[in-house]
Amino acid sequence: MKQSQRRTKSKRQSRREFLTRSIGGAVAAGAFSAFPLRGFAADPVNIGGLYPVTGSMAQIGVGIVAAAKLAVEMVNEAGGIKSLGGAKMNLIISDIQSDTTVTRTETDRLISSNKLSAIHGCFASAFTLIASEVAERAKMPLLTGSSSDQLNKGRTYTFTPFARASQFAKAQLQMSKLVDDKPKVAVIFENTAFGTSTSNGLKELAPGEGVEIVMFEPYSAGFTDAGPLINKVKASGANALFSVSYLNDLILIVRTVKQVGLNIAINGGSGGFVIPDFYKNVGKLAEGLQGVAHWNHDMDANAQKVNTEYRKRTGEFLFEYAGGLVAQTFMIADALERAGSAGPQKVRDALATLDVSSGYASMAPGGRVKFGPDGKNVYGYPVGVQWQNGDLASVFPKADARAPLLKT
Amino acid sequence: MLEIVAQAVINGLLIGGIYALVSIGVTLIFGVVKIVNFAQGEFVMIGMYISFFLFTQLGIDPIISLFVVMPILFVAGVLIQHFLIRRVLGLNDMPQIFLTFALSLLILNLSLMLFTANYRTVHTWYSDEAFHIGGLYIPYAKLIAFVLAMVLSGLLWVFLHTTDLGKAMRAAAQKPEVAMLMGINPNRVFCVALGIALALAGAAGSLLMPFYPAYPMVGQVFVLMAFVAVVLGTLGNVVGALVASLMMGIAESLGIQFVGADSGLIVVFLMLLLTLAVRPSGLAGGRAR
Repeated sequence: MKQSQRRTKSKRQSRREFLTRSIGGAVAAGAFSAFPLRGFAADPVNIGGLYPVTGSMAQIGVGIVAAAKLAVEMVNEAGGIKSLGGAKMNLIISDIQSDTTVTRTETDRLISSNKLSAIHGCFASAFTLIASEVAERAKMPLLTGSSSDQLNKGRTYTFTPFARASQFAKAQLQMSKLVDDKPKVAVIFENTAFGTSTSNGLKELAPGEGVEIVMFEPYSAGFTDAGPLINKVKASGANALFSVSYLNDLILIVRTVKQVGLNIAINGGSGGFVIPDFYKNVGKLAEGLQGVAHWNHDMDANAQKVNTEYRKRTGEFLFEYAGGLVAQTFMIADALERAGSAGPQKVRDALATLDVSSGYASMAPGGRVKFGPDGKNVYGYPVGVQWQNGDLASVFPKADARAPLLKT
Repeated sequence: MLEIVAQAVINGLLIGGIYALVSIGVTLIFGVVKIVNFAQGEFVMIGMYISFFLFTQLGIDPIISLFVVMPILFVAGVLIQHFLIRRVLGLNDMPQIFLTFALSLLILNLSLMLFTANYRTVHTWYSDEAFHIGGLYIPYAKLIAFVLAMVLSGLLWVFLHTTDLGKAMRAAAQKPEVAMLMGINPNRVFCVALGIALALAGAAGSLLMPFYPAYPMVGQVFVLMAFVAVVLGTLGNVVGALVASLMMGIAESLGIQFVGADSGLIVVFLMLLLTLAVRPSGLAGGRAR
């Protein structure tokens, strides 16, 4: 990480050297800055994006940035922001390097060194919580697909257009009823903050949903063998398995269930479970596995259209977070349009009164976005998804199901 | 109930075979060269990645790639002994500890750069299949790994007890000064010991590949168990490490089954502490073989 910082520093220095040496330094400086040389075009509107493009989450970060760029192109091709004289949207990406400390400094730097109208980020809730704190202090509107309920507490510049973590648990429990009228669920979770909080959410909501939890077991993350754990699941007599796990443990769990020959519906929740990489790793065994997502590419005609274009560019389907970001970009465009100003305060106020039910900005389960005072989309809910033929199909709730549930 | 216990023992025994390959390498290096190789887990990881790429690029089955991985890592071991470890032997312990520790960090971070932190898996026809006998199951991939791990351990035992080089190695392990007086070239013996140890780590990697995902930090998962097995089975004792590894696999599995899925390691360490309380130098007593 230090190395890459050093590298950018030296690059910056050489660029500075180049500028001072070249005769056209002033002209070049103009070209690099936000002000276009052509006086007749409207000033572009700058949107900031904070994503982990390097580090442990790099792969997913790169996929998200591809979607962010695609979305901005779509806005610009449709004529930009008309109320600002057809101003083009300009995306400025900042790399948070999959690191919490870097997230804080990069958010600060992005906001203070650019004239921005709004920002979006950061994929993982741990990073978004930090970026949102910085953005609140700088009075900069932030849109995010991160699901932590914490993001809706005591914040006025943070907007979350999609389902919250607490809603995911509920959806997951309801999905188990698709598998069996009397679901007996085994919950296994890694003994970390993430695993414990998610599984406790499931445990609390289960009685209200009429779901019986027959096994509730923490395990040490990063085990060498899932055999003993699955042995226990088998003995519990469960007909559905909720695994709150990161990818490496989940791969072992799925494989072991297959080896044991256990006939059980596995629901892996959200996050790492609903990205193309999961299928690449687990392969055919992923078929029929269920999960929950705040966005899916088969929701409506618009989402399918964006998915086709994204697939053409990257070779992967438009996954949850990336797809949601395309919708977010159009929400910002809608706010800019109504604000008639690129000022962040005006954009925030316009976002607070946003109410869309058509077009790309409304690409969300339920097809409607309107923010409550806590920045939460009052119409937001998650969709239940299932891996079918290497792709994610929406199967729950009924109104959003695009394919029947595959019984495994 | 009996079925559950039997299945837990089978699971433990199978994974214990993998622990054995890693721990035998560690104990061999400690016994002969008298250093602790903190990088042993990273060589398991290298073995996994070589097998992974041979499978995805050339379609070579991970088990077959054993014959590629083991020679490569043997040579790597010889080179590491000759050019790195030899320089710090005879000094105090600190440079030796830091050398292998630095090697571990270096390999770990290099692979993070080269391979990224992503998980890589291979799917062979036997990866996700298993024998079913009565209510019990035995996954093919783990059974193959266990059998080959035992075969390799057996070959090592035969090598150490029947060949001149093997006997020289044991002699160097028991009394290095006397061994030198008998005309044994210590560096040559040390090179072979390092080579064998790394080849075993690589073999563990190849055998893991059909059922375990490869990622840069994967070595750390297995090396912890290996170190415990080495201490439990008496430092430097190859047979002790083998027996201890299998015992630990079973203890871990039974612990998960009957104490709790987050308590597998607690049972293992409890077993270690109890053993050390009764036999302070490990199961095999004070003998290094």
